[in-house]
Amino acid sequence: MSGRLLVYLHVAIKQRALQSDMESALPGVEVIAVGRVADFERLLKDRVDAVLALPVVLSAYKLSPGLHGQRAGSSEERYVLVGVGSAPVASRITSVGALDLLGREGTNAFVKNLIGASPKVERVTKFEDLLPLLQMQRADCVLLPARLVPDLARASKLALMVQDIQKGVGLPAAASVGQNGPELLRAISRMRANVAKLVGVDQWH
Amino acid sequence: MALTRRIFLCTLPLCVGILSACSPSLHDSSSSDESRELFSITSAGPRAPTILVFMPDTTQTQQVLSGLRDELGKDYRLVALRVDASSPPSVIEGALKRYAPAGLVLMNNPTVSAYKAVQRSHPEMRFPPAVVVMTSFLETQAAELRGTTGISYEVPLITAMTNLRRLLALPSERVGVVGRAGLRAYIHRQIELCALEKIPVVTEEVSQRPNPSELKRAIRRLKQRVDVIWIMNDDKLLTPRLISEGWMPGLDERPWLPSIVGAASLVSARSNLGTFAVLPDHVALGSQAAGMLLDIADDDWQVPSGHGIDLPLSTTTTIDLAQTEERFTLKTDALQQVDRIVK
Repeated sequence: MSGRLLVYLHVAIKQRALQSDMESALPGVEVIAVGRVADFERLLKDRVDAVLALPVVLSAYKLSPGLHGQRAGSSEERYVLVGVGSAPVASRITSVGALDLLGREGTNAFVKNLIGASPKVERVTKFEDLLPLLQMQRADCVLLPARLVPDLARASKLALMVQDIQKGVGLPAAASVGQNGPELLRAISRMRANVAKLVGVDQWH
Repeated sequence: MALTRRIFLCTLPLCVGILSACSPSLHDSSSSDESRELFSITSAGPRAPTILVFMPDTTQTQQVLSGLRDELGKDYRLVALRVDASSPPSVIEGALKRYAPAGLVLMNNPTVSAYKAVQRSHPEMRFPPAVVVMTSFLETQAAELRGTTGISYEVPLITAMTNLRRLLALPSERVGVVGRAGLRAYIHRQIELCALEKIPVVTEEVSQRPNPSELKRAIRRLKQRVDVIWIMNDDKLLTPRLISEGWMPGLDERPWLPSIVGAASLVSARSNLGTFAVLPDHVALGSQAAGMLLDIADDDWQVPSGHGIDLPLSTTTTIDLAQTEERFTLKTDALQQVDRIVK
């Protein structure tokens, strides 16, 4: 199998490690894992066969997913707000830290839609950068997938408090954008479970 | 594993180069603005406000520029001009007149010094808001600059320790630091931040210009009381002589403790100086600076009053794997949390 897979997902390990794990799970595939939207935009134009990203990102770039991730039978996952000392209340927060999915405007809109409020959004490009926002009190709370809360808590002794959000967010999905795309999507669907788990997925459909 | 003095001295220029990443050595003070232009993006159109960047031309500053470009390039005319240690303040003065920027970004110590000189010589002039990056101990200089904010270049100890916590199994998390009295306030701020994460910090103060024996004694005393040594990016404590005759023998003595450094070049397979380096992610630093400028633009191009100096949010990490495996205990999957592994 051959082809070029662009992965744009924020995970609890370094992009270098994600790229390496995915390459070992997809022999023959060139995997490029990035965490910055600008890098994603640039690489999207560079002979890519398939893209693995959140559906909200694929939609923003007018890409149609041909493969959807699922976990526990759902194609969406829960997000939470995490604050220090007390559980955040969306309507009362003035600032929230979030992973930069879609640049300033797009991420602001994503956050607003998700939490139903319009606080100032402090964007970061890596999962591990959410914690400094809380430590340095740059944000009242941070927004992240619930599955990543244990990873956040493992690195911190702050009194982290979690508040569920009602709306769900689509799990990672893959879109074919090049000649080898369909073949890559089939390979992703058969990817080892421990690697799929890194991106929050236990099944593909 | 031990680094011989000869090998070490060969590596010093690299170490010093990194420690002064913001001190370029290009010389062309007579250049015009056009020849100094490193980068210009005008896709936002001719009426878009201009953001002017004064910077030396180094790998690190180019990375910061790329973060700025990604965030600002679509909405602003972004122009980067080369300024170096030999550039007279008139270079900045001339560019301010020529480009009439809405906002500025200043990178590194010599650039900030030149900008200070321009502000001092024009006390009546209104300067555009400026964001300073890549400048050592910026907090101590900020009061001398008008309409300026910025991001400090030193990675806070709390960030370094949080990163280390993901990697090493430590008996406890007491950190020791050797510091000069001149940096007492800075160290105190680090102690306050670390307290949030319940990380005790123990300090050993040395004189303003310690000799290797004084430094070694301080390291020995610290080693009795802590689990990790933090080596600050203080150029007065990181002279070639102090590294080779103070830090290296001091750290090589038992008990072995992991050491955190602030420059990737201080983590080397040929030495046991740094176990783990944590330094700013320069592209992310550019994005963070761009975010500050966007906030300033939203505020009608005013630096919000009382806005202090921010801390860098994003870092990159390097680990000396051979030293770590020989002397310490890595946590399961720890290497998935590191950007660069030195073997």
